[in-house]
Amino acid sequence: MNNDNTIISVDNLKTYFYTNERCNKAVNGVSFKIKKGRTLCVVGESGCGKTTLGKTILQLVKATAGEAIYDFEGEKKDLNQLSDKEMMKARKKLQIVFQDPHSSLNPAFTIFGSLQDPLKKFGVKSKAERKKIIGDLLEDVNLRREYMNRYPHEFSGGQRQRIGIARALSVEPELIVCDEAVSALDVSIQAQVLKLLQDLKDKRNLTYLFITHDLSVVEYISDRIAVMYLGKIVELADSDDLYQDTLHPYTEALLSAIPVADLDHKSDRIILKGNVPSPIDPPSGCPFHPRCPKEFAKCSKVIPELKKYIIDGREHYAACHLLDQK
Amino acid sequence: MLLIITFLIYGGLELTPGDAVSYMVSPDVLANISPEKLVELRESLGLNDPFIVRYFNWLGGVLQGDFGYSLTSGVSISKIVFDRLGATLELSIAALLFSSIVGSVFGTLSALKRGSIFDHVVTIFGMVGVSIPRFFFALVSILIFSLTLNWLPAGGRIFPGYDSFWDRLPHLILPAIVLGSTMTAGVMRYARSSMLDALNKDYIKTARSKGIPEWRVNVVHGFRVALTPVVVLIGFRLPMLIGGSVVIEQVFQWPGIGKEFVSAVKGQNLPLIMMIAMFSVLAVLIASFLVDIFTALLDPRIKLD
Amino acid sequence: MAKHRKSKLDKKMDEIKRKEEAGLLGGESYNRAINKFKNNHLALLGLILFSLILLTSIFAPLISPYKPGTIDVLNRLKAPSLSHVFGTDQLGRDVFTRVLFGGRISILVGLGSALGAAFIGVLIGSYAGYKGSWIDKIFLRISEMFMSFPRMILVLMLVSILGQSLWNLIIIFILTGWGSVYRMVRSQMLSIREEEYVQALRAFGLSDFVIAYKHMLPNAIAPILVNITLSTAMFILQETSLSFLGLGVPLNIATWGNILNVAQDLNVLRENWWIWLPVGLIISIFVFSINFIGDGLRDSTDPSQQG
Repeated sequence: MNNDNTIISVDNLKTYFYTNERCNKAVNGVSFKIKKGRTLCVVGESGCGKTTLGKTILQLVKATAGEAIYDFEGEKKDLNQLSDKEMMKARKKLQIVFQDPHSSLNPAFTIFGSLQDPLKKFGVKSKAERKKIIGDLLEDVNLRREYMNRYPHEFSGGQRQRIGIARALSVEPELIVCDEAVSALDVSIQAQVLKLLQDLKDKRNLTYLFITHDLSVVEYISDRIAVMYLGKIVELADSDDLYQDTLHPYTEALLSAIPVADLDHKSDRIILKGNVPSPIDPPSGCPFHPRCPKEFAKCSKVIPELKKYIIDGREHYAACHLLDQK
Repeated sequence: MLLIITFLIYGGLELTPGDAVSYMVSPDVLANISPEKLVELRESLGLNDPFIVRYFNWLGGVLQGDFGYSLTSGVSISKIVFDRLGATLELSIAALLFSSIVGSVFGTLSALKRGSIFDHVVTIFGMVGVSIPRFFFALVSILIFSLTLNWLPAGGRIFPGYDSFWDRLPHLILPAIVLGSTMTAGVMRYARSSMLDALNKDYIKTARSKGIPEWRVNVVHGFRVALTPVVVLIGFRLPMLIGGSVVIEQVFQWPGIGKEFVSAVKGQNLPLIMMIAMFSVLAVLIASFLVDIFTALLDPRIKLD
Repeated sequence: MAKHRKSKLDKKMDEIKRKEEAGLLGGESYNRAINKFKNNHLALLGLILFSLILLTSIFAPLISPYKPGTIDVLNRLKAPSLSHVFGTDQLGRDVFTRVLFGGRISILVGLGSALGAAFIGVLIGSYAGYKGSWIDKIFLRISEMFMSFPRMILVLMLVSILGQSLWNLIIIFILTGWGSVYRMVRSQMLSIREEEYVQALRAFGLSDFVIAYKHMLPNAIAPILVNITLSTAMFILQETSLSFLGLGVPLNIATWGNILNVAQDLNVLRENWWIWLPVGLIISIFVFSINFIGDGLRDSTDPSQQG
């Protein structure tokens, strides 16, 4: 299982935040693998822990427990345990694109100014060379080279996102975490940026961990999907499998909410009762049970584990007691 | 926090040149003592002990009311402080009243007449008030009201008990107004902005729509709400009062702690300097504590933490 | 029908692309702040007055034929005249000259202390504010300690311990002033820390110093400038008060406050108004103008007032 092109393997990752005797279990035992060159979409509502997951993998936030094993050209190491020197090398391979185009770039610097520091750090010594590299990057994201001399406020949201992508690409990473990278953009611009991300992935053989709450985006870009709820993964499968054979009630509800542009389509939308509970005080047993239309006695008592099911010969994971009864 | 400060104060005290006995013991005792007795005395006071022990001895003494003796006059410091406290309090309270009343009245009036000439003039007056050095303002007012017009005395204070309050008042007016002048500008600004906030709130509009006459709306509802932050900020103004009184008391020769402090600095009278400094810190800390309490009382939305 | 809709969408995309090319879709620039300042008439007036007084002080030797220390007892206590614009004091020194030269020292103390306090406050606050943890806690406690004293009392206490001299005074002012700058920079850092570009810098593994000082600090400059301006005014007032009492700059050096020192004598107050009245007015006007400039700066750089 370890030799089949898996670039990162996350095992029982936990990130807890402690404040004033309260414990926020943002990421509460998450496991998955991503293969090189594929896109894993992590989906869920706000507060389910997906952003924290991305930050933990990138070591922007310290993991409390668990492993995130990355494949460094054959050598497998746990990201959480790297020495400072090793971490420095790892930073080249792992990058992140953020959500908010308004705060993702330093307003006090030109684009060149913002983008050159990472290059300087990773050894590009001459200014001329940095200019060339940054110019090339801007062109790769369909912007003009001259833009590097402008300030962030002179650009639109979509352009700023593309600059953010260029920045992430500048150190030639292998894995890019896209944290709601298109959520703050207009729908038409979203399509633009998503297409760009796909092209870049193919051209540069990248791997994406794409975090989003927007299922229509997921449909377009994902190879594999993980559905998160309150810090845990409740369903994990390849995209087609997830849409065809939805196993978890929460996933069903999410999928039913995707707007369909067809006047004849009648909405079978499943509306969930209640709100997402706080991760500080999660419900007992299955975290979803208070809102689940299909819950029964066991659900409030025992936490369901993420189990593997084989459907049509392919792996499909889900955490729901209902499935034990099949 | 307070502990650390007392520690530092004591450190400063230690810097006093000469024998520590000179300010720890009453000069009457020292005048007649023999050299052998002096050595015994120093031993009993623990002056040969390490720093920490001496610090705690001193602290214990302070808590019991023994503040040492002034280097220059030999009078016990506690006597000096408590004798002058009344004068300073009188001046401070008068200044506080003046600035609070004038400030809030003008501030709310400005808010009501927002944008008018009145508003602009008052605002500029406020800015002028903050820019003029207080002692200069004092000098000018002495020149005008005392020396030229002869309306008010140029300084000093009649001791309470000697004459009626009305006899004492003329002495109080100028220093109080001058001391309060800088704070008035701040109060005005605050009153104005909080009044503006209050006037825009929905319940004011509701009151108006109910047909309550305009003046009642403004005075009863708006003013009361606008007043809350002003009252609360009294605590914040206390440090300014203490600092300002140092200069003002000197100019007006007002026999308070501030004037005493200035003389102490001029005379390099470290024990007195340190003690007064410590008291002022105590006053500030008590004041902010009181501010917290009052805030919680007046505004039920704020919880006491 | 579908084709019509498609071309409408195409047109919209082209329009967006065109605007992007022209750089028209951006937000504000900081020329806006400068424009706002220019439109603030009071601030401009302040700037003019300030420059006037500042320049006359700097060019003092060129303006006045006298030296500030020249004693001419024969001509003592003369009222203003053509040869002595502000008259002479009790030692026969030309008051106008003393005011000009005194301005140099007073402004030096005011501005120097404000800059010094800002420097230290920024130095410590940037790193401590960004990093948090024990560094921040310690300095916060230290600044709290300083702030528990009423300013005047703290300053005088330090004067009595350290001794009276020009440089001691500046040092003392810096010691009492760094705390407020520190708190301000710190709170700026706390909010900027959450911005995404800071997280991106961390994702690149850039060092904390580089992030805090090179990338975050430039975005926190505006309130620091306002603080420096208003602090200068405050320090000038403090120096004048202290020197007036004879406890600030030693009396042998002319400063605005020292000149006023003689006014403690009621006789001088009444009879020799030219010695103290003009100086006091000049101090007031100067501080006044600085306050206007500071207010103007604050208004023009306040993000909540934009738009």
